[in-house]
Amino acid sequence: MILAVLFANSDGNILIERFHGVPAEERLHWRSFLVKLGSENLKGSKNEELHVASHKSVSIVYTTIGDVCLYIVGKDEYDELALAEVIFAITSAVKDVCGKPPTERLFLDKYGRICLCLDEIVWQGLLENTEKDRVRRLTRLKPPVEP
Amino acid sequence: MASGQDSSGTTLMDLITSDPSATSTAGASSQQQSSSGVGSVGGSLLGKPVAPPADRKSKKGTLTQIQNETISAAKALNPVKPVSYAQLARSIHELAATCDQKSSQRQLVNSVFPKLAVYNSVDPSVAPSLLMLHQQCEDRNVLRYVYYYLARILSDNGSQGLSAAGGIPTPNWDALADIDAVGGVTRADVVPRIVDQLSAESSSDDVEFHARRLAALKALTSCSTSSSEMMEKLNEIVFGTLEKVADTKQKRKKGIFTKQGGDKESIIRGNLQYASLSALRRLPLDPGNQAFLHRAVQGIEFSDPVAVRHALSIISEIAAKDPYSVAMALGKSAQPGGALQDILHLHDVLARVYLAKLCHSISRARVLDQRPDIKSQYSSLLYQLLLDPSDRVCFEAINCVLGKGDNTESTEDRAGGWIRLTREILKLPEAPSVASKGVLSKSSEKSSKARRPQPLIKLVMRRLESSFRSFSRPVLHAAARVVQEMGKSRAAAFALGAYDEGASLDVESLDSDLENPMAEATRKPNPLSNGHGGMDTIAGLLASLMEVVRTTVACECVYVRAMVIKALIWMQNPHESFEELKSIIACELSDPAWPSSLLNDVLLTLHARFKATPDMAVTLLEIARIFATKVPGKIDADVLQLLWKTCLVGAGPDGKHTALEAVTIVLDLPPPQPGSMSGLTSVDMVSASDPKSAMALQRLVQAALRNPTLASALTRLQRCAFSGSWEIRIAAVQALTTIAIRSGEPYRLQIYEFLHALALGGVQSNFSELQLSNGENQGASGTGLGSLISPMLKVLDEMYRAQDDLARDIRQHDNSKQEWSDEELKKLYETHERLLDFVSLFCFVPRAKYLPLGPTSAKLIEIYRNRHNISASGGLSDPAVATGISDLMYESKVAQKETNTVQSGIDPDLAMAWAAGLEDDVWANNAPAVDKVKDFLAGAGTDAPDVDDEEYMNSRPSVGYDDMWAKTILETYDAEEDDGRYSGGSSPESTGSVETSISSHFGGMNYPSLFSSKPSSHGATQQTIREEPPSYSTSVLQRKESLENPLSGRGGRSFGSHEDEDKSSGNPQSGKALYDFTAGGDDELSLITGEEVEIEYEVDGWYYVKKRRPGRDGKMAGLVPVLYVSS
Repeated sequence: MILAVLFANSDGNILIERFHGVPAEERLHWRSFLVKLGSENLKGSKNEELHVASHKSVSIVYTTIGDVCLYIVGKDEYDELALAEVIFAITSAVKDVCGKPPTERLFLDKYGRICLCLDEIVWQGLLENTEKDRVRRLTRLKPPVEP
Repeated sequence: MASGQDSSGTTLMDLITSDPSATSTAGASSQQQSSSGVGSVGGSLLGKPVAPPADRKSKKGTLTQIQNETISAAKALNPVKPVSYAQLARSIHELAATCDQKSSQRQLVNSVFPKLAVYNSVDPSVAPSLLMLHQQCEDRNVLRYVYYYLARILSDNGSQGLSAAGGIPTPNWDALADIDAVGGVTRADVVPRIVDQLSAESSSDDVEFHARRLAALKALTSCSTSSSEMMEKLNEIVFGTLEKVADTKQKRKKGIFTKQGGDKESIIRGNLQYASLSALRRLPLDPGNQAFLHRAVQGIEFSDPVAVRHALSIISEIAAKDPYSVAMALGKSAQPGGALQDILHLHDVLARVYLAKLCHSISRARVLDQRPDIKSQYSSLLYQLLLDPSDRVCFEAINCVLGKGDNTESTEDRAGGWIRLTREILKLPEAPSVASKGVLSKSSEKSSKARRPQPLIKLVMRRLESSFRSFSRPVLHAAARVVQEMGKSRAAAFALGAYDEGASLDVESLDSDLENPMAEATRKPNPLSNGHGGMDTIAGLLASLMEVVRTTVACECVYVRAMVIKALIWMQNPHESFEELKSIIACELSDPAWPSSLLNDVLLTLHARFKATPDMAVTLLEIARIFATKVPGKIDADVLQLLWKTCLVGAGPDGKHTALEAVTIVLDLPPPQPGSMSGLTSVDMVSASDPKSAMALQRLVQAALRNPTLASALTRLQRCAFSGSWEIRIAAVQALTTIAIRSGEPYRLQIYEFLHALALGGVQSNFSELQLSNGENQGASGTGLGSLISPMLKVLDEMYRAQDDLARDIRQHDNSKQEWSDEELKKLYETHERLLDFVSLFCFVPRAKYLPLGPTSAKLIEIYRNRHNISASGGLSDPAVATGISDLMYESKVAQKETNTVQSGIDPDLAMAWAAGLEDDVWANNAPAVDKVKDFLAGAGTDAPDVDDEEYMNSRPSVGYDDMWAKTILETYDAEEDDGRYSGGSSPESTGSVETSISSHFGGMNYPSLFSSKPSSHGATQQTIREEPPSYSTSVLQRKESLENPLSGRGGRSFGSHEDEDKSSGNPQSGKALYDFTAGGDDELSLITGEEVEIEYEVDGWYYVKKRRPGRDGKMAGLVPVLYVSS
């Protein structure tokens, strides 16, 4: 189960968040935990360098892409390595939408489309599509494989 | 929800709608007409209700009121208030009505919908417009958003803020609707309409619109599973679709391996298969339903990889509950050439992960005990997954082999897992059918090699070892976790006696299993002859794995380290020494980066480890003790107590005694005092002063991972610099300076910060601690230390400044692509030499190799030297000096009996190795020193660090000038403080006198020109020095008596030797130079073999000598190494 996908800017403002299976009262904790994690470890980190953390049986993988930090929380089959796959799918989709690792401004300009991409990649706590082309087609309401 | 709002009050919407040109304070940006047409539309409609016109007056009133409030508040606050939710909703209504126009579509796609996405939920009142768009609009992009929002309306389970989407809180529309129960657009109204419309679309067979069909089905799956009516509908649609598309066995092969191949029909079918299985995955699992299982099993053969993944995940979940029926339903798919074999080569990683889980469930199922053939098929499949190129899959397979389930597995399962791992052998199937299909063509080509049966454990170990060499943190973390699981299984095997003391016996029986295949692999020797190699095999494999695991402790990510430590704890064998684990943990705990939650997690691991192996109670309690003593503030007392309690209760009658003993040890410890943590607190204190030192601290921590010995030496020296007696503090500060000069960067910066803080007044703040720590009245204020430190700081300052200048110059040259002129090089070289001179005053540095300006300067200096034919032999490469110094070191061992200090490393290589921050190996050459250092680091004599360190200082054979300098200060101190000291005199006079004497020494010692350039004061100093020794010895004696130093025997010896020296210094001796000696600093004197000199006095292995006539350099007197002169 992918419990959370969270985009934040470098100041720790949350840009997009998708929780699944996390009770509302725990979300606040997760937000602050993740943002703190990022502020401690992502400064000076390379673009798309993967960082890892864990909390009990829950794994967290996070990275920066351009000016934006991306955190993914998962458990069970979505361990750190599976989350690395997820994060790779998301970052490549974001780069695809923005044309490059986004600045915060660019990210916000493409906000809607990024939401649609995210929708195709992680759906209800499960990884759905990972291929960039598939995601792109689906966000344009085209079938995943073109007839 | 506060999420959308950051501390500065800027919301996400502010950010998103702010003018791109404006600065980050989006809220304050100028007129926001920005990109959206929404503003104008909204503005024109100001005051109109958002909800569709209705006859509910109260509702309308409330809405209008809220809207007006929002807008007026927005206006009042900020004329450029970003688009409000109400405005967005209104635009949707407006634009939906004109959705056939291109401009409306553009507006929707470009501004309205993206902005609406910012809100955490979409209110049902928008739904009618969305549905209208859904029916009438044909623009794909608009429609995609429509599906997105419909899905969100469906997924919203009614209560505000519970939506998964996050974002800015949406105005509470639902609550408003509830106020007026009669009407408004409520969820209850719109959801059935949405479901109907989407259902109709998703069941339509129109090929042209099949993409919309997929999207509709997907949106439908988001509706809440609690409504049985909706579930029924969804079931109907999904199974209806599958009915039509699932039975297409023949078409599949093309699709799976040649993506674009296949006709249009099969591709559309593939897409529908994907959508329906994806929907099926979201339906609640229905293990008893054969149709459900049947459809999922069919899904394995679908062409769409994501569909296959979903199918496998469904099957593996069902298999965990009902392995028998799954095995039956899967039938022959697991056989070579079956569908499951194909999945081994499917590109989707998660699909293979689910396959591993599936194989695990079926191969372990008790209900299938009657069908060993089925079970072996699945285990063979599982073992093949161990060879998977993806770490994720391989690790999952290892975990499955080890018997890890959903944390409910029994000890027997685990033990069985360990036995399986250590005994079973992977025999790749012949798989003629697979090979014939060309799927395996690659592997079958090299099959003659790859097919060789391999023991699982070898495969696993090899794989893990290579994973531990990865640079990716997730891989390291996951690999450590796998090792932890391995440890759990091994512990279970121990617990059940399947693999414990009888290890040799067991392993021997095992090793025939193990050795056989390997033996076959080599040259088919007699298996019996391998009888003894077996233990080595498993133990050896494990040992080499653990070696790699331990090195991973050096990862900079604290979570990876935590996982590694957990793995080490689990792999710890009750019969092995746990010293290494203990020292690793102790080292780690000194790192302030550890969050307390993680530490508690490790403690809980100890707890779990104890439960698995009660024999380890004592070991584990000892480890817990490290936590209790090192980080008392960070760990949860409850967790610790739980651990102790369980250990006591669970230890069994035999173990209870040992467990109790271990607890007593912990209880006997003095409660953590502020003083006991002074090393750490001091670091914290320094770090608190400014962000730069925080950075230094951080880097130190990183560096500490590279060189734990040096780091812990630093910590201890810092502690000494705070809490030792006066002498100790001076020695510690000196040692720190030496480390700063000789070591690489993070250490230097750290020490610089520390000394800086100390000089500024860290000393004062520590006085309370001082008194706590040794109850001795120090009798002086901190200023003495401050003035001692300032020259050291100046040198470091000087070095940093020069480095900064160099960096700046290099940058300038680089930027302007300019060559370095000779003049500039000369200047640089002069700086280099000057710094070398300064630095040599504090400690020995190899002049030829030492680069005070940092490694970047090496090239430039080299250039200058080559150009001007300056040989670098100013110091060390001069053979006389080199041998002289090394001689000095080795012989001084004999002479002084103990070569014991960190700083005795005069051997140039040693010094350089140190400077380069190398490993501890260098100590291997210097055995006595190693022990001493280790004692020192391990905190031997913590109770009386004074004595220890005093000796450490006094018997130091090192020839650093700083030693002599410190000694003279000490001597003065003792001489002058003699009276004041024990009468509790922190009187201003005594302080003053210390200061003056120190400063006179600075001048007198011909101290670096940057402090005072008065060589003329030479004589005066000599005077002082010569006067001091007698008073020193008497004061020492007095002090010895008054302190009743328990170690006075040792101390006395060393002091005694000084007395001898002192005597000798009374009447000058004459001597003869035995070798040539080139002065290394201003204070030293060059000698030519055979030259006659007069020995004035001796300090720490150096003679202060006078020549009869001035030498070539014009100097008459100075220091020479004792061994260069025959006395």
